[in-house]
Amino acid sequence: MESTTPSPPSSPEAPKPRPVSRWPDRIFVGFVGIVGAGVLALALAIVAILVYSARSSFNRFGLAFLWGSTWNPQTEVFGVLPFVAGTLITSAIALLVAVPLALGSAIFITTQAPRFLRGPVGTAIELLAAVPSVIYGLWGIYVIHPLMESTVEPWLKQYLGWTGLFSGPAIGLDVLTAGLILAVMIVPTICAVSRDTLLAVPESQREAALSLGATSWETTRVSMLPYARSGIVGGVILGLGRALGETMAVTMVIGNIDKVPTSLLSPGQTIASLIANELLSSISSLQVAAILECGLVLLAISLLVNVAARVLVWRVSGGRVVGVGVL
Amino acid sequence: MSSSGSNMSTPASTPPGTPSASSATPPPTIQRKRRGMGVWIAVAVVIVVIVIVVGLGVGLGWFKTSSSSKASTACGPGSTATSAPGATDFKGEGSTLVAPLMDQWATSYGNGAQLTYDPAGSSSGVTAITDKVVDFGASDYPLTTTQLNAIPGVVTIPESVGAVVPIYYVPGIVYPTGVSSLNFNGSVLAQMFDGTITNWNNPALQALNPGVSFPTATILPVHRTGGSGTTFIFTSFLTADSSAWASSYGKSPVWPTTITVGTSASGNGGEADTVGTTPDTLGYVDLNYALNSASSVGIGNVQNPSLAFIRASVVDTVSALHDLSPTLPTGTQTWYNVSYLNAPGKTDYPIVGLTYILTYSDLSSAFSSYSLANAENLVDFIHWAITVGQSWSAPLYYAPISSGLLSIDNATLNSFTFSGASIPVCVPTSGSAPA
Amino acid sequence: MKFDHHARRKLFSHAIAVVTGLCVIAVLYPLFSIIYTAVIKGGAVLFQAGFLTDVPPNACSIVACKTVGIGPDIEGTFILVGLAACIAIPVGVLAAIFATEYRTRGFGRAISFTADVLTGAPSIIMGAFIFGYFVLYDPTIVYSAITGALALSAIMIPIITRTAEEALRTVPEATREAALALGISKWKATLRITLITALPGVATGALLAVMRAAGEAAPLLFTALGSNLPFQGFNQPTAALPLLIYNFALSPYSNQEKVAWGATLFLLVAILIANVATRYMIHRLSRRYAGM
Repeated sequence: MESTTPSPPSSPEAPKPRPVSRWPDRIFVGFVGIVGAGVLALALAIVAILVYSARSSFNRFGLAFLWGSTWNPQTEVFGVLPFVAGTLITSAIALLVAVPLALGSAIFITTQAPRFLRGPVGTAIELLAAVPSVIYGLWGIYVIHPLMESTVEPWLKQYLGWTGLFSGPAIGLDVLTAGLILAVMIVPTICAVSRDTLLAVPESQREAALSLGATSWETTRVSMLPYARSGIVGGVILGLGRALGETMAVTMVIGNIDKVPTSLLSPGQTIASLIANELLSSISSLQVAAILECGLVLLAISLLVNVAARVLVWRVSGGRVVGVGVL
Repeated sequence: MSSSGSNMSTPASTPPGTPSASSATPPPTIQRKRRGMGVWIAVAVVIVVIVIVVGLGVGLGWFKTSSSSKASTACGPGSTATSAPGATDFKGEGSTLVAPLMDQWATSYGNGAQLTYDPAGSSSGVTAITDKVVDFGASDYPLTTTQLNAIPGVVTIPESVGAVVPIYYVPGIVYPTGVSSLNFNGSVLAQMFDGTITNWNNPALQALNPGVSFPTATILPVHRTGGSGTTFIFTSFLTADSSAWASSYGKSPVWPTTITVGTSASGNGGEADTVGTTPDTLGYVDLNYALNSASSVGIGNVQNPSLAFIRASVVDTVSALHDLSPTLPTGTQTWYNVSYLNAPGKTDYPIVGLTYILTYSDLSSAFSSYSLANAENLVDFIHWAITVGQSWSAPLYYAPISSGLLSIDNATLNSFTFSGASIPVCVPTSGSAPA
Repeated sequence: MKFDHHARRKLFSHAIAVVTGLCVIAVLYPLFSIIYTAVIKGGAVLFQAGFLTDVPPNACSIVACKTVGIGPDIEGTFILVGLAACIAIPVGVLAAIFATEYRTRGFGRAISFTADVLTGAPSIIMGAFIFGYFVLYDPTIVYSAITGALALSAIMIPIITRTAEEALRTVPEATREAALALGISKWKATLRITLITALPGVATGALLAVMRAAGEAAPLLFTALGSNLPFQGFNQPTAALPLLIYNFALSPYSNQEKVAWGATLFLLVAILIANVATRYMIHRLSRRYAGM
C-alpha cells in the first residue's frame, strides 16, 4: 500500500501538506527485493552447483544410478541404492520408536500432567531439540553402543532371531543403533508439534466429551486426536525429514559399510554419512561426482518430505507455523 | 506505537468533542515503552559487537604466545640461499598414519609459519592436492603412472617410514606364562580378514601360538573406510605373503568390496578405537596408534621371511629399511613398485611402508595465488621435515628416512621452481629438535 | 466392588495415563543421561586451569600431550558463528520483510516457500555445496573461515527468514495502517514500527538459528576443516567446538576422549544458558509490547 498525501482540510489555518517523495520507498522495495532474491538464488545455487559437480556421474551412469546396488571405488561402479536403503531403514526404525513415545508424551503433557509441569517439561523437550548432533553421537558411542552390544542385541538375537531380522554378529555399530539414536533426536520435534496441535483443539470439544461421562483417555481419543490428526501426521513427517538428513550422530554409530543392509544388525551407510565419510577421502574424481549425485538424491527426498510436512502442519494450525522452538 | 510521537500530538484537525488527547506531554504508558525499546536494541547491538571484537581481538592477541616470536631464519654456512624463507601459513592434508608426526612437525617447525594438517585419510590428501586446495598432500600409498599423469606436475617426496601392526581385542584369550601377545603370519592374517577362518580357536592360529587358549568366539575383522594408505600397505603385505589373497584381491588403498565379513572404521584413530571397544575384533593400524591405544588391545607379532615372529619397534623398522635396497625412482616417477615389505634380516619387521608428500614442483604455475614467500616457505618446510624433522621420528615410533631416500628428496626439492627460477633452500636452522 | 463396565473403562484410562507418563520419562531420559555422562567424564577436565584457553592435545606427541584445552575451538566457534550471523541475520530479516510486506507479488510468496523448504535441507548438503563451489571458484580458500561461515549462514538464512516472516505476520494490520494513515512513508513504517513490534519473534528466530549454527559440525567438515591452532586468519582453516568433539570422539587416546567430554559439557552448558536467557529476554520483550 503506497503512502498517500493526507487530504488538505477545509479549515483555513491547517498547514499545507508537503508532497511525499516516492523514491525512498522504491529504493527500499528494490533493495529488500534484491535481498529476497538472494534467498531464491541460494536455493538455485545449491541445486546448480551439485548438478554441475556431479555431471561426470550423470554421464556415466544415467538413471541406473538410482537402483545400482554396487558401490565400488576401485572398479568405479557406483549406485545410490545401498545408501537409500540405509537412510530408509534407519529412518523407519527411528519413526517406529519415536512416534509412540512422542505422541504418548504429548498426550500426557496436555491432558494428564498438572499445569505447573507443562512449562518445565516443555522446556526440557526443547532443550533436547537444542542438543547438537555430535553430542548425540558421542553419547551414542560411549553409552548406547556398549549397551546395545553387550545386552540388547544378544537379547534380540536370542528371542527374536527367528524373525530373520537379527542375523549377523552383534557389533553394536549398525543400522539398529543408528535408528535408535535418530529416534531420540526426532522425538522432541514430533512431541512439540503434537503438543501444539493438541493444545490448539478447542476446550469446548474436551468439555463436551467429559460432560458426557467419558474417561480421560476416551476424551482424548474421541475429541482431541481426530481434530489434531493432520497436525500430528505433519509433525511426524517433519521428524522424518530431520531423520533423513542427520549426519553426525549417524556417522558415528552406523558402521560405515557401503552395502545394502541385510539385517537390522548389519552395519550400513546413509547418504548423509556417506558424504561425511567419503567426500574428502575419495580416490577418484568420478567417486566425488557420484557422492555429490547421492547428495542430490538426498536433497530431493528431504525437500519432498518437508513440503508435505509443512502443508499438513499449516492446514491444522490455520497457516501459523508451530513448533518454532524445535526446528 | 510512538516513534513519531511528536506528529501525533498535532493532528491536522481535531474533531470537536473528543477528549483532549493533544496535550503537550504524551500519556505516561507510551513514554515508558519508548524508553524500553531503545535500551533493548542498544543492548543487542553491544552484545553482537562485543562477541565479534572479542573473538577477533582475543584470537589475534592472547593465544599467539608460542608462535608469535619469529624464530631465527638466518641461513647458515654452506647455504646458497640469499634470503630467509618467507613465513606464511600453509595447509596439508592426508594420511592418518603419519598424523602424529605431522602434528609434531606443525608444533616444532619455527619460522613463524603455521602448518595446519588435516588427517582425513591418504586418498583425501591425493584429492586435495589434485584440486589444489592444500599446499601439499600426504599419502601412504604411491600413485601409479596413470594417476601421476592425471595430475601433471606433481612430485612424490617420501618423508617418513612407518610400521603397520595387527591389533586385536579378545578378552577370552588365556596366555601361558611368559607369553603376552599373539603370533601371526601373512597367510593366517589373510584368511582371518577375508572370512576363510571364522573363529578365534582355529587350528592355523593355534599352530602359531602353542599353549595359548583361545575362545570359540567369531572373529570380527575391522578394516578402513575409503581410500587408506594403511590399507594399501597392509594389503600389499597380504598379497606378498598369501597367494590366495593375491589372486582374489591384490593390493589397493580401498578394502576389497568382495569381502563381506567385518566392519569398518574411519582413520587409524577410529580403527584403534573400534578394536579397543568391541570384543573379538582384529584390525591393522600404525605402530604409534597401537602403542597409544587401550591396554586391553593386543599388538600382534608378525612372522618375517626369516621365520622369526617380530613385534614391531623402531629398531626393527630401521633395520628393515636398511636391509632392503629397492631401486629408487626420482620424484617425478612412480613409486608404486618400491616396497619395504619382508626385509630379509633376522630381526627385520616385515610390514613397513613409506609416507609420501605430494606437491607440485613448478609452484608458480600450480598455485596461481602463490608469492615467492609462499614458495620458499613450502620448500623450506619440506627440507626441514626430511632433515631436522626426522629427529622426531623415533620418539613417535616412526623410522627416519634413509640417506638414499634423503638424497633423492633433495634432488627433487632442488628441481622446484618459481617463475622459472630455482628456489633458494636454506640449510635449516629454523625449528627445534627434541631436547 | 463390582468390576463393572464403567470401572473397567476408568481402569483402562488410568493405565493409559501411566503408559503416557512412562513415555515422558523415556523421552526425557536421554537428556539426563547425556548431562550426567558429560559431567562424569568431562567435569574434571573442564575445571582444570587453562582448559578454556589452552590448545588441544594432538595425537599424544611428546610436546603437545602436555596441554589440555579447547581455547582455539571456542574462539573459532565464536568467529565462525559471529561472521555467519552478520551475513545471515540481515539477509534473513530483509527477505522476510519483503515476503510479508510485499506479499501480493508472487515473488514474495516464492521467497516464503523457498525459505520454508530450505529449512529442511540437510546441513551436510550446505557444506558440500559451498565446498563444490569454491573448488571451482578459488581452491586456495576452500578450507577457511570464510567458507565455514558461508556454509553456516546458508543454514541460518532459511530459519531466520521463516521465523521473522512468522513474527511479522502476527503484527496486526491495524498497526501498519495506523502508521501509514499518519503519513509515515512505507519504508519507515516497516522498519521502525512493524519490525520493532515483531522484534520478540524475530529475535527468537535469530537466536535459535545462532544456537543451531554453534552446534553444527557437518557443514564445517569440508569448509572450516578444523584446526588445533588459534585463529590464523579468515583464509585459513578454523577450529570449532563441534568439530573437536567429532574428531576426538573417534580417537583411541584417553586424554583426547576426556577433552571431547569436557568440550561437550561446555557446549551443553552454553546452549542451556543461551536457551534460558533467550526465553527470559523474549518474555520481557513480549511483555513490553503486549497489547500493542
